[in-house]
Amino acid sequence: MALSLAACGGSGDSAGGGSDEIHVLVYGDATNKVEKQLVDTFNKTSKVKAVLDTIPGADYQSKLQTIISGKQAPDVFFNWGGGSIKPYVDAGLLMPLDDFIAKDPGLKSRFLPSVFDTAVVDGKPYGIPMRGTQPVLLFSNKKVLADAGVTAPRSWDELLTTVKALKAKGVTPIALGGGDKWPTQMWFQYIYDRVAGPEHFQKAVDGDKSVWASADSKKALGMLKELIDAGGFGTNYDSVKFTDGGSPALLATGKAAFELMGSWEYSTLQDAYPDFVKNDLGYGTFPTVEGGKGAPDNLAGNTNNYYSVLKTTKHPEAVAAFLKLMYSDQFVKGQLGIGNLPTTTNTQQFLDGSASPAYSTYQYDLVKKAPHFQLSWDQAFPPAATTTIYQAVQQFFNGQTGPDAFIAAMQNLPAA
Amino acid sequence: MRGRPNYLAGFGSLIWLFVVGLPLYVLLVATFQSRADYAANGPLAFPERFTLDNYVNDLDQGFAQYFLNTVVVTVAVVGIVLLLVPPLSYAIVRSDGKATGRVFRLFLLGLAIPSQAVIVPMFYLINEAGLYDNLLGVVLPTAAFAMPVCTLILSGVMRDITPELYEAMTVDGATPWRIFLQLVLPLSKSGLSTVVVFSSLQAWNGFLFPLVLTQSSENKVITMGLYDFQTEHGVDIPGLLAAVVLSMLPILLVYLFARRALVQGLMGVGGK
Amino acid sequence: MTTAAVPTVDSTDKSVRRGRSSRSSTGVGRPGFAWAAPAAAFFGLFALVPLVLVVVLSFTRWNGLGSPEFVGLDNWSRLLDDPVMVKSLWLSLFLTVLGVVVQTPISILLGVWAAGRQRNRAVLSAVYFVPLLLSITAVSVLWRAVLDPNFGVPSEATWLFGDGNLFGTQAGAIGVLVFVSTWQFTPLHTLIYQGAARAVPQVLYQAAQIDGAGTVRQFFHITLPQLRNSIVTSMVLMVVGGLTTFDTVLILTQGGPGNDTTNSAYYMYQKAFKSFDFGAASAIALLLVLVATLVSLAMVRLTGYDKMRSTMEGV
Repeated sequence: MALSLAACGGSGDSAGGGSDEIHVLVYGDATNKVEKQLVDTFNKTSKVKAVLDTIPGADYQSKLQTIISGKQAPDVFFNWGGGSIKPYVDAGLLMPLDDFIAKDPGLKSRFLPSVFDTAVVDGKPYGIPMRGTQPVLLFSNKKVLADAGVTAPRSWDELLTTVKALKAKGVTPIALGGGDKWPTQMWFQYIYDRVAGPEHFQKAVDGDKSVWASADSKKALGMLKELIDAGGFGTNYDSVKFTDGGSPALLATGKAAFELMGSWEYSTLQDAYPDFVKNDLGYGTFPTVEGGKGAPDNLAGNTNNYYSVLKTTKHPEAVAAFLKLMYSDQFVKGQLGIGNLPTTTNTQQFLDGSASPAYSTYQYDLVKKAPHFQLSWDQAFPPAATTTIYQAVQQFFNGQTGPDAFIAAMQNLPAA
Repeated sequence: MRGRPNYLAGFGSLIWLFVVGLPLYVLLVATFQSRADYAANGPLAFPERFTLDNYVNDLDQGFAQYFLNTVVVTVAVVGIVLLLVPPLSYAIVRSDGKATGRVFRLFLLGLAIPSQAVIVPMFYLINEAGLYDNLLGVVLPTAAFAMPVCTLILSGVMRDITPELYEAMTVDGATPWRIFLQLVLPLSKSGLSTVVVFSSLQAWNGFLFPLVLTQSSENKVITMGLYDFQTEHGVDIPGLLAAVVLSMLPILLVYLFARRALVQGLMGVGGK
Repeated sequence: MTTAAVPTVDSTDKSVRRGRSSRSSTGVGRPGFAWAAPAAAFFGLFALVPLVLVVVLSFTRWNGLGSPEFVGLDNWSRLLDDPVMVKSLWLSLFLTVLGVVVQTPISILLGVWAAGRQRNRAVLSAVYFVPLLLSITAVSVLWRAVLDPNFGVPSEATWLFGDGNLFGTQAGAIGVLVFVSTWQFTPLHTLIYQGAARAVPQVLYQAAQIDGAGTVRQFFHITLPQLRNSIVTSMVLMVVGGLTTFDTVLILTQGGPGNDTTNSAYYMYQKAFKSFDFGAASAIALLLVLVATLVSLAMVRLTGYDKMRSTMEGV
């Protein structure tokens, strides 16, 4: 019934049905203005017009899943690669991009390989990188560190001593927006990568549940526990959120010394506390772990965002032409101008035109030399796993559950 | 009557004034300062540098459009309810057919159906009807779920019309239609105003249906504007609170100019 | 309802009245089913059809992609084994009961107080009303900001809030949810009681004063019993509202910490739109409908609220 209805109707619909339109669905936020410009550029020359649709923040993934198989489905949509598109590939909704790439090799060769590979599912490419890369970095308030007579820690042991010194000064050592849960997850991502190496998590995503009970896994949990118990995050982190500005404000106003956050922290702070960014904001990588299996240069975070294409699109040529813009000079300049960091091979030559050149260059070099870029756990697993992961990390942090319960919860995740 | 002042009650009422007033004070004060000042001075401090930027920014970001959408939804919901519920209540009170009795019990059952319970198939139906991301798609279910309470209220009021009045008109050979227009509606004014107040509050406050059934900013209602504001512009508490103030302005105006009707209408929710 | 067909001695009064009225006015003067039909059809389409579909979906597995797959009672057996589900039901009931227990006394006291005609009471009542002008969303957003541990009121009143970890502990998070609902909905219930208290015949108080009863005794022996019907109405509203609390949970606590404030309504939403398990979500939805129906029925029975139906027969 649903199918026949969908096939007959639709001519009068605003979305999906238009005969000479392609709908581009993106995550609604400040970056949309660059996407709007790009769509305008595209529409100047193309007979098939692109229409930009946005879904605001937190509900993007749920809205996408509810419309993607119906007649409101877009032609092209924003995603995080990895597990975020796996269910759609499995359901046969997405178009493998081999043909596009065969006709226009730049769709692959013009992007950094490690980034491009995150959207490869079952050996086939399904996503073209768009927007930028967002590694998670350890941000700090240099003034607070100086007052306590410490510097940003390079190793985990240094971090523990720094925490003690800061606590003695009456400062919350690390700001954490635990109310959002994903900032808590960032600590797990990094510590697991440092201690057990990237292969460990990859096995877990592939369905090997035993790795969660491994010695490395337990060691990582033990180290985290030590940091929590040492008062590294204070006591009320679960009442703090990043998304309502709570945790960045802690850092900027000097009530906390560190925050582990995605690279967007910079522009967030720039908006609200420009003076702090100019004078006292520090940034660096996650501390190294002695004897750990993961390379100290490994990164974690959002590898990139991607555009994927639905099989049902009526205008594949137009879509291919649109995707070609993702490595154009205009795109790269536009993204850099608002603080994003695209991962095209031509990015480097435009870094000087970035909103904050030093910061962009620093990130670009990190990403380029990183042996592995760990995709955020909640995006590596399919969306259905997110709730469980968030609950497990939060309950481990606030002491409601111990390592065994955490391990059991992670073993119950649906495999990707 | 109870003439001498009741100090205990007076004291209690002042405590409640504090409970009600404190957050409202925080709300107002925060909206007139910049983010940095709010973070630096705390929620209770009076603004040092007074600014209207938060309001201006909010309006720039489309809040005017959200208002308009909310007004459209509210008017449409109230319209549907006013069109359908009075005849239904009249039938429930005056019909002697068994079918209407069953319908009444159906609506009583409807009181216990939370809108969350049907949200999944509702999404499916609205989507199939081509009404996804369309204000009409929000209006229809919102009106349907406002109907049980409205029916209960209105049939209660109509039941108070004495049978003698009906009989008198029937003896004169009046049709149900004439009785409805000349007797029932004029005597149900209080109930009708309660129904208007109740259904417009439902529409004005609606959250789940717009959350699931709309997506684009052209079709955003105020509650969604607030919700998305929280996730999209995460960091801006004063801006968010200014949006809260803006969202209450229209109802505040209604309250200032029609306090009596609004209050009477709400008292009616609890029965006469 | 069937008394007319089976006349017995006991029900003579009813059947006689019924017989008379239908003789005098069958056909003319009375509205037929057609008057109820449009509303019934509308409500059926947008409330009952979806409800039937929920029943169907609860026997399927469906993630929103492709078509639902029939799995029999699988969702149900998984749910009954699901500790979170059981916890969420208890939590829904607990939040509801707590809401009623907290809101009722405050609303009655405020309502009776506001029923007085003094000028200062009228002015204060106008202020008390303001929370009701805000949407639930706005109220939740406001309180989230007001209760921020570092930049909200708790940072200014550490003697009361300690480290301000309100959203990080179960007691704190539940307390916030109950408090915020109370803050918003007390004005509504106050109005209900205010209206009812004004309707109490003054002669009752005059008689009590002659007997020498003080304010407190008057309150317990006259006002409270006279408010009985309003208490029932107000409590039914609180219970139905409490069981289905959703917006406040979504905005204030997201069901956390852990799943400590995941009530059934939020759990259902989470299962449907976060885990994309629409089958299980539908089963939870039905459980919710079932509990809400049972609770409302029980309240209606216990309080005699259903006498409405008998008045209908008498018309």
